[in-house]
Amino acid sequence: MAISTTAAAERQYILAFDAGGTMTDALLVKPDGSFTVGKAITRRDDEPRSYRESVMDAANNIGATADLVHAECVADIYCGTGMLNTVLTGNGRKVGLLVTRGFEDISVMEGGLTYLGQTQSETLHQQLHRHTRPLVDPKNVIGISERLTGGSYQGNIHLEPGHELIPVNAAQVRAAADKLLDNGCEVIGILFLYSFVDPRHEHQARDIVQDVLKARGRELPVVCSADVAPVSKENNRLKSLLFQCFAAELVRDSLMAVENEAKGFGFKGRLLTLLSYGGAVNMEYPRLYETMISGPIGGLIGAQFIADKLKLKNVVTADMGGTSFDVGLLVDGHIGITKSADIAGHRLALPMVELDSVGSGAGSVVWVDEYKRLHVGPDSAGAKVGRCFKFDRLTVTDINVVLGYVDPDYFLGGQVKLDREGAMAALEEAVAKPLGLSVYEAGAGVLDIVNTQMNDLLRTMIAAKGYDTRDFTLLYYGGAGPVHMYGFAEGIEFADVITLPWAAGFSAFGAACAEYMHRYDRGLRVLLPNGMSEAEKTTIAQQLRATWAELEQEARDEMEKEGVDPTRVKFRYGIAARYLGQLESFETSLSDGVMNGPADLQRAIDAFEQMYTKVYPEGARFPDAGYSLTAVHLEAIAPKPQPILSALPLSRREPDDSAYVGSRNVYHGGMWTPFKVYEMAALKAGNVIEGPAIIRDPMTTVVIPPKRTMSFDQYRILHYK
Amino acid sequence: MAHAFDNRTQLTPPSKEVRHQTLKQMFEKRDRLTQQTGHYCGVTELTLRAADPIKYERFYNKLHAAVLAARESARFVAASPGSREMGESLWGLATPEGDTLAVSLGFLSHTAIFPVSVRYMAEKEYDVNDGIEDGDVYAVSDGLTGGVPHPGDFYSFVAICYEGEIVGWAVGINHLMENGAPVSGSWATFSVDTFMDGLVCPPMRTGRKLKQESWWKAIWQRRTRAATMNILDDKMRLAGCAMVHDATHKLIKEFGLEYYKRATREIIEESRRMIVDNMHSLMVPGTYNGCAFRLVKYKGLQQIWSHADKNTLLHIRASVEPNDKGLLVDTEGSSRWGYHSYNATPGGADAALFLGMMNSFAHNTKVTAGIELAVQRHYPSGSLYNPDYEFTSNANLWAQTVSLNSIGFNAISRAMFSRGYLEEAFTVDGNWGAWQGSGQTDQGVSYGFTNFEWLGGTGRGAWCYKDGEPIVWAAWSQLATCGDAEEFESCVPPLFYLGRKLLPGYFGHGKYRGGPGNSAVHWCVKPGKHIAVTRPNGGLSCTTSVGLGMSGAYPGPGSFMISARDTNLPALIETGETPRDARELLELVDAGKLEVANLEIWKTDCPELALKDNDLFVDAAGSSGGWGDPLDRDPALVIKDLNDGMAPRYEFTANLYGIVATQDAAGVWTLDADATAARRKAMRHARLADSQSAQDWWAAERTRVLARDFIPEVREMYEQSMSFAKFDNEFRKFWQVPAAFNFPKE
Repeated sequence: MAISTTAAAERQYILAFDAGGTMTDALLVKPDGSFTVGKAITRRDDEPRSYRESVMDAANNIGATADLVHAECVADIYCGTGMLNTVLTGNGRKVGLLVTRGFEDISVMEGGLTYLGQTQSETLHQQLHRHTRPLVDPKNVIGISERLTGGSYQGNIHLEPGHELIPVNAAQVRAAADKLLDNGCEVIGILFLYSFVDPRHEHQARDIVQDVLKARGRELPVVCSADVAPVSKENNRLKSLLFQCFAAELVRDSLMAVENEAKGFGFKGRLLTLLSYGGAVNMEYPRLYETMISGPIGGLIGAQFIADKLKLKNVVTADMGGTSFDVGLLVDGHIGITKSADIAGHRLALPMVELDSVGSGAGSVVWVDEYKRLHVGPDSAGAKVGRCFKFDRLTVTDINVVLGYVDPDYFLGGQVKLDREGAMAALEEAVAKPLGLSVYEAGAGVLDIVNTQMNDLLRTMIAAKGYDTRDFTLLYYGGAGPVHMYGFAEGIEFADVITLPWAAGFSAFGAACAEYMHRYDRGLRVLLPNGMSEAEKTTIAQQLRATWAELEQEARDEMEKEGVDPTRVKFRYGIAARYLGQLESFETSLSDGVMNGPADLQRAIDAFEQMYTKVYPEGARFPDAGYSLTAVHLEAIAPKPQPILSALPLSRREPDDSAYVGSRNVYHGGMWTPFKVYEMAALKAGNVIEGPAIIRDPMTTVVIPPKRTMSFDQYRILHYK
Repeated sequence: MAHAFDNRTQLTPPSKEVRHQTLKQMFEKRDRLTQQTGHYCGVTELTLRAADPIKYERFYNKLHAAVLAARESARFVAASPGSREMGESLWGLATPEGDTLAVSLGFLSHTAIFPVSVRYMAEKEYDVNDGIEDGDVYAVSDGLTGGVPHPGDFYSFVAICYEGEIVGWAVGINHLMENGAPVSGSWATFSVDTFMDGLVCPPMRTGRKLKQESWWKAIWQRRTRAATMNILDDKMRLAGCAMVHDATHKLIKEFGLEYYKRATREIIEESRRMIVDNMHSLMVPGTYNGCAFRLVKYKGLQQIWSHADKNTLLHIRASVEPNDKGLLVDTEGSSRWGYHSYNATPGGADAALFLGMMNSFAHNTKVTAGIELAVQRHYPSGSLYNPDYEFTSNANLWAQTVSLNSIGFNAISRAMFSRGYLEEAFTVDGNWGAWQGSGQTDQGVSYGFTNFEWLGGTGRGAWCYKDGEPIVWAAWSQLATCGDAEEFESCVPPLFYLGRKLLPGYFGHGKYRGGPGNSAVHWCVKPGKHIAVTRPNGGLSCTTSVGLGMSGAYPGPGSFMISARDTNLPALIETGETPRDARELLELVDAGKLEVANLEIWKTDCPELALKDNDLFVDAAGSSGGWGDPLDRDPALVIKDLNDGMAPRYEFTANLYGIVATQDAAGVWTLDADATAARRKAMRHARLADSQSAQDWWAAERTRVLARDFIPEVREMYEQSMSFAKFDNEFRKFWQVPAAFNFPKE
């Protein structure tokens, strides 16, 4: 295939992994420009093994060894859904939580946000709203007497932010620590009000807990919300803290083990993973929960790469893997980032690729409840696939096997034989009988529901932003994306609908496209009322410059530890600003980090005004009120080898005879229909496949319904019509 | 592609040559065609949809996307947490007559007033006399002329004109944090007439070309106590309207004006049909009656205005009856209007009534004015819902119309239960709480505020098959959320949270219990020159209003407030035992740990309470009712509540649910199954022994009725309700009183 690394990294490999809930994909970009994808079943209890098996598979594909690949590897990026799966399945660490006294129910109340990720019709039907399962047992949430002030939205009109109203009650902290340890807690989180303004109370409590741990001879992570997500709004900060405690600390050990596996093969650098907003970090990164959705960001980075190649302005990505269906947007070439992340029914204080998900993937469990209501997910079979393989419950893949979409004899290229009869029995038992349907009707009905859910999500994601689907190209991927595309894209007008031969490994491919980038945020409370003196402005400008200087040094130090030449690190600068009195701050990118005096400060304000009026009409401006700077941020970028996608000569429209595998019956549109089957590897640029047809690949299945076509362009990108 | 706001879009200049219909003529045509055909604007066939359904849906999707995007973008301009984070804001696109075409998330039913405002402008010939041009901005907060539920809800209308013709309105709404009435905050709870309601604006032009006039800012600065917040909220509304305005112009350019005009009519007619179908398929035919009460406790508070110096028990009465056009809601029999802040106007009553109707009947349709066409309303003249006095106060309409909404919503829930939609059937509640006030810091900075947290999210009543949940419900918005303490606290400088949590045991008991309500404790530190708070919810705690309970369950307990002034709080801070909720505060007082010189429990609206250092202000709200007989509750669930701390007192719980349990040294409760069975059996026998026949009960009560043996407030309530024929007939038939019987005016 036609991908290569940049000239700067000739003769070096790039490895990028997407460890999904079901499969671990290893994308290996070779020194000669070609690439391959290795695949292995994801083993949650033994991720190093999944890593090993997938990289060996990839190396084997090119006749090399894993040792050779690792020895020549310039970048090794590992993105997983381990943390997300931990949250979705509720199998995280046992958390103990200290909160400001009086806020003991915060994890149950969760701000009342029970409509996250819902469509307007679902939101409107609030009779059916439910709370998300808490990530901490309410019995292990203990209030601590303490209070700091946070300041007024109108500025300094009362007590200063960070003023101590009630000191930390040390005795209560000690007693709470003892109780949480007695209760078997494995990690202790601390969330106090306004710790984003001043973390000292949280840190005091942390030190006391650590004293208790020491006295009892125990070692447990103690995590403060101010160190995890130092931003306003305690409900979102709590969720960030809980994700870090419940999932991240658990997954960190597993990731370090994967890194050791890589080193065992001779890899000399640090294993990296992706932050939810696009940067790469190593596994010692303290806020590891920020890598929660590193898999999907990989897909978005990959989409950026493809969009650049095909000159696409706007792309909507649809990633269907084993456990979920994720939709993201690329607008004007930029990945949509949101400052609060909605993940699996939780809202976190986390800058994140703007992504919406439904919990229906190929491995999602299909079940009927006591009221004869059909459900899909949230439980997933993971690597056990379904009743057709090693799982004891019916899954979406089982149904695809029963209905003929997925070939039971060609799963992973035939490495794994699936049990169609077992899947059939499961479908009959779990769905058909309870609902009084035939097996095939039941299966088709389930797929219809799954496809409709995904279809709705695609529509909503775009409509809610005020965009038009016709301005977007749908790029779908993930192992199950090409299997279900015919359903989730149905009835929506897109500019184009595309996928790639390596759709199943696309997230890993995207990770390989990532740049080294760290982001640093630093909260501020800077007021810029009208009428400030030049001297006051100069002081503020210097304060900003000093803050950036600290962050620059922090970035250089961290990146150097990751093997980056600190002299090659470049920076991007920004501020978060608002009119005095507003609740929301608006991120504003600046052209440089020069900030020496009033003129530079004014440039920053002008940049804010310019950004603001791009989004809002003139009438929404309020310069009379003055301004407030609530944060600065810094992005540190280091050079990194990138894949290259090359054009191929176009072949004729008809595929070679050798590409035709045969025909098989598929239950589609309420009837059994013969679908021609083609081999992906044998199809060439310029070929057009007419439906009904299936393109098989060891890693995925592309379904082309009747009256539809799939065309391969010069890059072998597949276009659906 | 569509974009949030393209400030390069040119405003359409008024046409000098083309004569278009006036707004008045448009209304006449709309009303006539709708009346004659029974279909919106005479649209009997959905011709555009039939000809090209994909184009039609695409057209609607674009309309819808425009308003969704307006909210998701514009709300970040706001200063008030209620508007940005919670459901207290909304944007819509309406026809020239104000009929809703598409609406964002938020408090959806507030679209009901759009046609009221526009009709007023039409009748007063704003377009003929003054001209209405593209991008003109109108402010509306008046109940009578604008239909606004209460002045705390503020509306911005932006005219959308195309080639000189008014083709629609972009409308933005949000609930202000302060609206400048004598009682500070956003519900002027002790108003006697409209002149005490704060900033009340009949539809009035405040801006042109999508920009407010300079004088408008001065109004906020001089007539309200939270100018910065209100100006930013005003800008927020306008920002969203500008986006909708911009998108609509682009849409008309893409589809053509004629298509736009016809499609918008078809969309509303289509939605009306679906809603009527939903009503027919979800409800069992019949009449669903409901009533509720509210207390107006003005006696002694209005000595300056003697005509208002009395307590009043408001009777809120409504029946819901499905019919071939949809359903009829009849409020006849409700109290007459009065010199208090709880009067409604028809527009405001609609906004309340449609809350539940939209959730239940419109969620699977295009959300438009279809609901207004499918629900016929009867608000008798002279009643609480349609005063025949033009200067009534409706500053706190909300506090009583929540009951009207709940009656309607409850009727739907019962209908769905009867029809077998069990997963939809639950105990409907609207047991909210909020507090408001104003102050001035030592530096002389003034501020006003409203805290919406327990209005934003409440417990939801029990289902017919499971317990309710906390903070998951708001009968007035789909976006139930209580926001963040860190944001609310930043709006009220001297008040600091000491607790914000669920209140154990604070729900209606039953086979399935309601979701627990909430309680917060606010601590006053350095109050500056002044700070005072009020709580405006219409005596929710002392009248059975909305926490109805279902099928033998208890209703949700009412909301209440405690003021604990002049305390020894610093001593409790020393020991780390500060009160975290209303129950704990009272327990600490009982235990002698918390010393309070001035402790008051407010079950009705309280006057402004000035706070000093270490004073505490505690509220509890958002409880919800149960479903089914408590004696039928699975004993294991009772034990779980005991062990989870959700049932704080064993004796009370055991007596109510008829269980017997024992507690071990670790404090864990264990059920004694045999003793429980025996106790429940005995309780059922005791119930039978204590009961009397309905006939005996009726006879005894009739004696009281004939003797008019009620407190004055109840006698007055009956007198008012019986001044309406429907209730008079019902009352006379039921109690079989002599023809001459009445409740004379006192």
